[in-house]
Amino acid sequence: MRAGRVDTSPVDDDSRLDRDSARRVLRRLSRMLVPYRRAILVATVVLVAQTGCLLAGPALVRAGVDNGLVAHDAAALNRAALAYLIVAIIGLVLGRSVIWLVARTGERFLRELRERLFRHMTSLSLDFFDREKTGRLVSRMTSDIDALQELISQGLVMFVQNFLIFVGAIVVIVSMSWQLSLGVLLIVPPVVFASRWFRTRSNLAYLEVRERIGENLATLQEGLEGVRVVQAFGQERGWIKRFHSTNENQYEANLETVRISAKYFPFVEFTGVVGVAVIVGWGGVLVDQSVVSVGTVLAFVLYLNNLFEPIQQLSQLYNTVQSAGAALHKIFGLLDTAPSIGEKPGAVDLPNQGALEVAAVTFAYGGDAPDLDGVIHPLGPEVLRDVSLSVAAGERVALVGPTGAGKSTLAKLMARFYDPRGGAVSFGGVDLRNATLSSLRRTIVVVPQEGFLFAGTVRDNIRIGRDGASDEAVDVAVAALGLEEIFAAFPDGLDTEVRERGSRLSAGEKQLVSLTRAALADPPVLVLDEATSNLDPGTEHAVERAMDRLTEGRTVVVVAHRLSTAARCDRIAVVDNGGLMEVGSHDELLARGGRYATLYAAWDAASMHHPA
Amino acid sequence: MGSAVGPQRWWVAGGVLAGILWTAAKLTIPLLAAAAIDDGMRAGDTDKVIRLTVVIVAIGAIQALCTGLRRYAAFRIALRTETDLRQRLFAHLQRLHFAFHDQAQTGQLMARANTDIQQVQTVVILIPLTVASIFTMGGVLTIMVVKSGALALLALGALPLLNLAATRFSRRITPVNLELQEELADVSGVVEETFSGVRVVKGFGVEQQQVRRLQVEADSVLDRALAAARLRSGFMPLVDFLPTVSMVAILWYGGHQVLDGRLQVGDILAYNLYILMLIWPLRMIGMLIAQASRASAGAGRVHEILVTDPAIADPEPSAAAAFPQGRGELRFENVQFGYGPGRSVLDGLDLVIRGGEAVAIVGATGSGKTTVARLVPRFYDVDAGRICLDGVDLRAVPVADLRRSIGIVFEDTFLFSDSVRENIAFADPEAPIAAVERAARLAGASEFIEALPDGYDTVIGEHGFSLSGGQRQRIAIARAVLADPRVLILDDATSSVDPTKEHEIRSALGEVMDGRTTLIIAHRPATIALADRVVLIGQGRVLATGTHQELLATNADYRRVLATASVPGAADAAIATTPEVST
Repeated sequence: MRAGRVDTSPVDDDSRLDRDSARRVLRRLSRMLVPYRRAILVATVVLVAQTGCLLAGPALVRAGVDNGLVAHDAAALNRAALAYLIVAIIGLVLGRSVIWLVARTGERFLRELRERLFRHMTSLSLDFFDREKTGRLVSRMTSDIDALQELISQGLVMFVQNFLIFVGAIVVIVSMSWQLSLGVLLIVPPVVFASRWFRTRSNLAYLEVRERIGENLATLQEGLEGVRVVQAFGQERGWIKRFHSTNENQYEANLETVRISAKYFPFVEFTGVVGVAVIVGWGGVLVDQSVVSVGTVLAFVLYLNNLFEPIQQLSQLYNTVQSAGAALHKIFGLLDTAPSIGEKPGAVDLPNQGALEVAAVTFAYGGDAPDLDGVIHPLGPEVLRDVSLSVAAGERVALVGPTGAGKSTLAKLMARFYDPRGGAVSFGGVDLRNATLSSLRRTIVVVPQEGFLFAGTVRDNIRIGRDGASDEAVDVAVAALGLEEIFAAFPDGLDTEVRERGSRLSAGEKQLVSLTRAALADPPVLVLDEATSNLDPGTEHAVERAMDRLTEGRTVVVVAHRLSTAARCDRIAVVDNGGLMEVGSHDELLARGGRYATLYAAWDAASMHHPA
Repeated sequence: MGSAVGPQRWWVAGGVLAGILWTAAKLTIPLLAAAAIDDGMRAGDTDKVIRLTVVIVAIGAIQALCTGLRRYAAFRIALRTETDLRQRLFAHLQRLHFAFHDQAQTGQLMARANTDIQQVQTVVILIPLTVASIFTMGGVLTIMVVKSGALALLALGALPLLNLAATRFSRRITPVNLELQEELADVSGVVEETFSGVRVVKGFGVEQQQVRRLQVEADSVLDRALAAARLRSGFMPLVDFLPTVSMVAILWYGGHQVLDGRLQVGDILAYNLYILMLIWPLRMIGMLIAQASRASAGAGRVHEILVTDPAIADPEPSAAAAFPQGRGELRFENVQFGYGPGRSVLDGLDLVIRGGEAVAIVGATGSGKTTVARLVPRFYDVDAGRICLDGVDLRAVPVADLRRSIGIVFEDTFLFSDSVRENIAFADPEAPIAAVERAARLAGASEFIEALPDGYDTVIGEHGFSLSGGQRQRIAIARAVLADPRVLILDDATSSVDPTKEHEIRSALGEVMDGRTTLIIAHRPATIALADRVVLIGQGRVLATGTHQELLATNADYRRVLATASVPGAADAAIATTPEVST
């Protein structure tokens, strides 16, 4: 019997499965387990044998008592005791192997599932990542798989074994004496009902606890983060009072769980004692009538434990199993999501050089596959309408225009982050949809505006540009952009850990890493999304210079937020209202006196006003 | 932590008493069952069997009652202790000085108030349960020894091994579990990174690289999980095995004693039941030992915070000065200050700010201009020299009075996740809405607040709704204004405000500052222009003072500080985005 707190985590409605989904999950799981069938079969056989050993104990006690003690036969007693010892040792050995067998198979399965799920998720297209929050995707890979891990390491063996023990114990006692069993089995239903009541009630109570803890932690965190403001305005007392109320709420919620278990556990203990009383009392009557032997009565008292414990344990494990089922359901849902950007059969490699052609492209977001909640996002308004633009090999084209005009979308289509709804994007005459994905990513590289850094050194981060690039290659890329000095000034140069305290990179420095990645990748076509955020003054100049060197001699499409960047490009395309307003060189457009000229005048005037 | 449990002595007493009674009842039942078998069944006295059965049920009822009470008491005491301790810790943290909070990380303090206190709670639960367990073990031992010393030795001999194994197991599994947790964290690290940076991953087509990183982490998880499984497979079966060995001993040796007439058949049953009773207490003692060491470490860390005294304290009542009347004249006299030894920031600062005067403090990064602002509300105390408000040393007046007379807008705007109204009325939660609206208007915030979904009742940070940096700053200014302070401190308070909106705030601030002593920490010339006088700070002291124009004309240091503070590129970038907005 457990004296500690029930330590299964509560299950909320989100993680409960209806019967139909549960059946589907099970069917699919069993298909996935096919490669492991031999290991599972062996584990099951061992588990059944071990349960048999556990259940044999009281029966051997009965044999010892009836054949040895009551019949005054020392040899029979010795035989029974020896058999008991042997069975116990076999049980020990089998018990060890079953835990090991289940863990080995289960953990391997989980490892494969982790990899498979991750591989699948990374293969999904950007529209998927636009729809889903990162946090939710991460939790598929973490808390959901952890729920399965918990089941495998703690619950699975216990769940099956308790079930076997319960059923086995009933079979054994009924076969020993159905009359005495009748008395015992009367007590089982109340315990089952009480356990179900307890599970439901305590689950609700623990959900409440979880909520209250969350609230209390939120108050705690805010009180600590805002402690300077609190003190500055002398509001300490108010906040202490506020914390007191959430803190007491947490206490109350916790106490409720104690009240529930303070009802359940006494009931179970009492029923257990009643069970002993019934066996002894009713057994006494049956012994008197010579229906059962004294040894049988003894064995029944010992089997009582084998009936009670499984009911309680199964009831507690129920949550673990349910959470695991729900987790699997969510994981399967994710595995069923197909990438919208795929490789066609018979896809060809893109040529190394060529013009990037946008022909009569129309695009709207949404309207794709349903998200993980099954919600279908309706097709949005058209972001681009009938846009055509040709970028010659080696030409640098800037896309400018107001926020939301569609310039970033256009850039993404040019790298096939999305497929157009109408029209086509092609490179060197090959429609991007007919190209192999590997050649596509090799030929057209997108440098996103946020210079995202992965854990590791600066060098590791640059190496993202070309997998397996040598240290020398990284140095060459750094030198090509003229950034040796800037990186050398980092605490450990290129080997500086980017996530370590004290060496946090500024926005500008992150951009530089990002640009160097692109230099290392050395693709024929670059799609650059310029940062909108303010760069720190120290790196501003370096970023501009690196960008110039990087784009030199390459086919480049840059989404420009600064008109100074646009001015340095060969041609400028002004995007607004989902279409191209004007296209031409900086000088041409200025001379034309259209949209670009107006934008540039406003920007130029604003720059002049600068105090410095 | 004994004092934390103290107030609940009645529950402690009740819990322990119930525990003893529970043990006694529990120990009686096997004896009664044995008697029913030996004196009833085997003697053919069915009436006696029935009588004893009734007694068993009655004692079972007492047992159940006591077990409910002892559980309830144990958990209640523990939860109460946990709750009170957390309250004490929070209240203490709220009163600890800035310097403490500068060094402590929020996450760590959260861990103190959460996990560490929970460790203490768990051990408090285990104590009464362990007391009952010890009684159980003592009782079982006594009964068995009295009946047959040799059998007791034989039957119980193997059981301490269970305790030993449990302790050993928990000692060995803990580090493996920690490692497993770390490896799992690494997995989520890779996953989180890959999906946060999915645009980079897709842009460079490095999905395979990420999959390989995951494989490495997944393999480590597998390795640690299997190591844990190996340990578990060594221990778990022993929980069943060792008691079984005892039962075998009882059947064999006890059986022979029955044959010799020294024991009875019922005793065999009673002994078996006693063994079953011992399994849990033996395991729990192992748990208690492991938990106690964790809890004492946690309690130590909590205690460490509780014994830290707030460095900024009220003056002794006898030495306290009356809070001065006045217009808010601030006088810095030879002020020395550093954030810890060897980190001197102010070194002999002398400065007088007349009541009602607006002074801009200008200096290079690290010159200590923010520090000057933070000494005035006594967030820190000076190391030497003194600061006086209207002629009285800051340290001579109650801290609460001092802070009530000062309004500060911090450099990093912190707003609480309450309504806009509650945030503005922070200094005076009872302030009428008219006062809140006035403060918002003065801070140039009323226009955008009224446009919010629920106006002043809009809850900040709810439903993904968020304010821009400039809007947050204006609410913070309104918060400082509402208190109607004698001294207003603006620590870089308009840095995130959109340049196009800045002039609105400037004109509003002009009204607020009128006749109020104001300290402005700024580096934008436009903000500096709000001040009557500029004080240039460097090397921990005042380098020059004068109007903005005077210093600009005469002081090269001043020009250099302004030039580096407002770097061309930064403003350039800020303005470059405006065409998009304006067209």
